[in-house]
Amino acid sequence: MGRRVGQTDRGRLRPIRRAAERLALPAGLVLTLAVLVVVFYYPVGSVLVEAVVRGGRLTAEPLLAVLSDPFYTGAASSLFADPASVPGGLAGWLRAGLPPVTFGLFGFTAYQALLSTVASVLLGLPGAYLLSRFEFRGRRTLRSLTIVPFVLPSIMVAVGFLAMFGRNGPLNAALVALGVGRLDLLFTLEIIVLAHAFYNAPLVTRLVTAAWETVDARRVETARAMGATPLRAFRDVVLPQLLPSLLTAALLTFVFTFMSFPIVLALGGLRLATVEVWLFARVQELELGEAATLATLETAASLALTYLYLRYEARQVRAGGDGVPLDRRPLFDGVGALRDPARLGLLAYGLLALVVFVGPMASMVLASVTGPGGGFTLEYYRFLLVQQVAETAGTTRPLPAIVNSILFGAGTLLLALPIGVVVSVVATRGGRGSRLGEALLTAPLAVSGIVVGLGLLQTLVFGTTLFGRRFTATGPVAIVLAHAVAAYPFVTRNVAPALGGLDPRLADAARSLGATRLRALLDVELPLVAAALVAGAAFAFAISVGEFDSTVLLAEGVDSYTMPVALERYIGNRSLGPNLGPATAMGTVLLAVTAASFLVIDRVGGRWER
Amino acid sequence: MSSPGPDTGAGGVELDGVSVAFGDVAALEDVSLSVADGEFFTLVGPSGCGKTTTLRAIAGFETPDAGTVRIDGRDVTGTPPEERGTGIVFQNYALFPHMTVRENVGYGLRFRDPPGGVSRRERVDELLDLVDMAGMGGRDPTELSGGQQQRVSLARALAPGPDVLLLDEPLSALDARLRERLRVTVRGIQRELGITTVYVTHDQAEALAISDRVAVMDDGRIEQVGTPEAVYREPASRFVASFVGDNNLLDGAVTGTDPPRATVRGVEVDLPPDRAGSVAPGDRVTLSVRPEAIEVVPDARAGADGRRTTLEASVESVEFLGEAYRLHCTWEGRDLLVRSDSRQPSGERVVLGFDPADVRLL
Repeated sequence: MGRRVGQTDRGRLRPIRRAAERLALPAGLVLTLAVLVVVFYYPVGSVLVEAVVRGGRLTAEPLLAVLSDPFYTGAASSLFADPASVPGGLAGWLRAGLPPVTFGLFGFTAYQALLSTVASVLLGLPGAYLLSRFEFRGRRTLRSLTIVPFVLPSIMVAVGFLAMFGRNGPLNAALVALGVGRLDLLFTLEIIVLAHAFYNAPLVTRLVTAAWETVDARRVETARAMGATPLRAFRDVVLPQLLPSLLTAALLTFVFTFMSFPIVLALGGLRLATVEVWLFARVQELELGEAATLATLETAASLALTYLYLRYEARQVRAGGDGVPLDRRPLFDGVGALRDPARLGLLAYGLLALVVFVGPMASMVLASVTGPGGGFTLEYYRFLLVQQVAETAGTTRPLPAIVNSILFGAGTLLLALPIGVVVSVVATRGGRGSRLGEALLTAPLAVSGIVVGLGLLQTLVFGTTLFGRRFTATGPVAIVLAHAVAAYPFVTRNVAPALGGLDPRLADAARSLGATRLRALLDVELPLVAAALVAGAAFAFAISVGEFDSTVLLAEGVDSYTMPVALERYIGNRSLGPNLGPATAMGTVLLAVTAASFLVIDRVGGRWER
Repeated sequence: MSSPGPDTGAGGVELDGVSVAFGDVAALEDVSLSVADGEFFTLVGPSGCGKTTTLRAIAGFETPDAGTVRIDGRDVTGTPPEERGTGIVFQNYALFPHMTVRENVGYGLRFRDPPGGVSRRERVDELLDLVDMAGMGGRDPTELSGGQQQRVSLARALAPGPDVLLLDEPLSALDARLRERLRVTVRGIQRELGITTVYVTHDQAEALAISDRVAVMDDGRIEQVGTPEAVYREPASRFVASFVGDNNLLDGAVTGTDPPRATVRGVEVDLPPDRAGSVAPGDRVTLSVRPEAIEVVPDARAGADGRRTTLEASVESVEFLGEAYRLHCTWEGRDLLVRSDSRQPSGERVVLGFDPADVRLL
C-alpha cells in the first residue's frame, strides 16, 4: 500500500520535475553564455572598442599609429606609414646586399615563437617515438605525465628555470665542476625558448603519440607485403598519418608561445619583451589606450592563427579506431639493447629530458632548502611562517594565499565543471548548435590572459555603469568567474571527446525509455565518461591554482591574493638578500598542491579507464 | 486509420507527408505511411534509403521539416522522444554498460509506472522471463553473448509498456543461424503482446519472412507498400523488382498486342495476356521474370509448347544453394539468373523457357 501511495505522489510531482529537467540544459547554456559575456566577451569587447573609438568616433588611427611605428613593426612599418615608399625601400635593400632587417616588437614576438616551436618539436618528437614504439615500465604513467607541464603555474616554472639555470644553479655548478666555466643564461632568448619548450614539447609528444598509436599495423604490414622496406613503409604509410598531428602541435605551440606572458616576463624582462609583456608594461603604467590598441592587434593575430588551426584540424580525416596498433618493442631487452643506435639515442634523449623537465622543478625544491652557504636550511619556510604572523598591513602572507588558492580552485571547479559539460553536450550533440559550441570553446583559449585581465580591469574593477548605477566586481567572485572561464575549456577538452566517443544510441535508448535529455546525460552518459570528468575537474582546479594573469589584477587589496600572486611578490622581495629563497619555498608549496590534483587524475582516471 | 480511443492499449503509427533534410541532403521526401494497430510493419531498403531516418522520426530523434507523425492518433510531431511512448531496439543493442541486466531492463520504469499495476521488480522479472533471460538479471551486459544482449535490449524496450516497438536492424550484428532463430522469437513475442511494431532492415529476405506488411524504400521515398507476397509477386517499380528477391529485368519494346508481345534484344517475348490492354506497339517496357519462373527446357520439348517463351543461353557458373541450384546464364550478352533443381555443366548451352503468365510488366 505504502508503495502505491508513494507512486501516486511521484506521479503527481513528475510533470513538474520533468519540466524542470527539460529546462535545465537550456538554462545551463544561457547561464554559461551569461558568465562568458560578463567575464570574457564584454571585457574583451570593451578593450577592442577602446582601441578603435577615439572621442566617440570610430577610427583606425590608433591601430595605424602602432603599425607604422618602427618600434612595433620594424622594417614593415613603412608598409603602413608610407606604402608608396615600399618598392623603393625594397630595391634599396636588395642593392645593399640583403642586410639583416628587424620587424620590431611584433617581429621579435613571432621570431621567438618560431624558435620556441622548432625547439618544442625537436624536443617533443623523440618522446613520441619512445612512447609509441617502445614498451617499458611506467610508459603509461609517463604518457599521462606529458600533460603536466602544460598546466603547471607558469610563474612557478619561471622560478624553477631561474633556480636551475641561474648563476648559482645546478647547471652552472655542474659546468664549473667539469671545468667548463659558467654559462649565463638569465635574460637570454635561449632560456625563454627552453622554457617554452618545457611547456610545449610535451604537447608535441602527446599529439604525435596519439596519432602514432592509431596507425593501423595491418596497413604497414600490407605495405611491407607489397615489397616496401621498413623505412619506405614508414615514409609511405606512417609519416602521412603523423604529419597532420605534428603540424597541429606546431601551430598550437606557435599560438601559445606568441601569447606567452609570465615566462617571458620573469626570464626575459623588458629587454626581451614580447607584445604581451610590453602590453602588461603599458597597463602597469596606465597607458590604457595604447594597451588596448596593442591588445586588439595581438588578439587579431592570435585569432587568425587559431582560426587557421581549427580549419586545419577540421580538415583532418580520423583513421578508424578499429585498427590494430603497431607492436611496441621492449625498451630494455638485455645488454644487446646498448648496441642499438636507436636505444642509445633515446638514452641521451632521456638525460636531456631529465635536465629540461625535471631539472627546473627539482632545482626549485632544492633551492628552497639550500642556504646561501650551500648547507641545508629551513630559513625560507620559516620566512613564510614569519610573514604569516606579521601584522604589518600589506604584507603577503602565505597561509591566506594557500587557503585562497584552494577555495578559489574549489569554486572554479563548481562553476567550470557544469559549464564545461554544457559546452561539451552542445559541441558533441547539438547539431546546429555545435558550431556555436566550438566557437564558445575556442574564443577564451585564443585570447591572451593579459588582454582578458585588461578588459576585466576596465570593466569589472573600474566599474561599469548599468541603468544609471555603477557596478564593480573585484575579489573572490570576480576571480572565481575569471578562473572558471580560463578553466572550462580544459573540462570540455576532456569531456567532449569522451562524450563524442560514446555511442549516441545509448542516450537515444534512454530517452525513448522516458528519460529527459538531462536524465540521459546524468544516468547514462556522464557515468560512462567519469574518468574524463575527473580529469577535467583536476585540470580546472590546477588551472585555477596556477592562474596569474588576471588574478594579479583582480586580487584587489591584500585579501584575495593567491599562491602565484604571492610567489610573484616574493620574487620581488629582496629582504632576505638577492636570492630566490622565499620564492622557491612558495613555489614548492604551489608545486605540491598542483601535483596533488594530478595524483587524483592518475588514481581515479586509472581506475575508470578499462 | 487507427481510431484513437481512450482505452486503446497499443496504437497505430501514421506518417503524413514527412520530410527530413540533413543540410542540403534530403533524407526523407514526403513520406506517408500508416501502420495499423498491432501490425508488424517493416521498412526495407538499401543503406541510405531513409528507413532508419523514418524510424528515428517516429521515435522523435529527428524532427521533420514538414509533415506530421501520429502515434495512436496523437500528433507527436513536436513531442520529445521521452514523451512518445515508444520502445526502441538498436542493432548494436545499446545496453548501458555500467548497469546490470536488471538495471537495464528496469531503467524505463524509473519514468513510467509498470503496466498492469505490478511492482517494478515483478515487471522486470516478467520481461526477463518473456525473453528467456530469467536468472541472468545480475549479469553485466558485457558478459552476455550478442543474442542474449539483444534479448535484454528487447526486454528493456518493452518493460515500460510502450505503444509502439521500434526495431532498428536488431539482428544484423548476429550470425546467420542465430539471426533466423531470433527473428522467430521476436515475431512470437510481438504476436503475444499484440504490439504495433516498426522494423527496419536492409535484408529483404528477412523483411519478407517476418512482416505483416512491408514498405520498400529507396532514396528517401517509399516505393511500394504491401504484404510480402504482393511486394514479391507484383513489384510496383523497377527498383522494387530488383531489390526484393533475385530477379531478371529485361528492357524491350512492345511489338504486338494480339497476342501481346515485346521484342527484347531481337527475341520476341510473350507478355502476360491480362496486360494486353495497357500497352501499345512501340512502348518501351521493362519485364521482370523471377529465376524460379524460368526452367531449363529439355531439348526434346524445345518449341513444342507454343505458350512458352524460349531462349537459348549458356551457363556461366553454378551455385549450389542446398535446396536448389542457381545458374548464372548469359543470353544475348546479358546475365540471367535461373533457379534449377538440377546441376547444369558450366559452359553448356541450354534452352530456357518461361510462361508469359509469370512475366511481370513494369
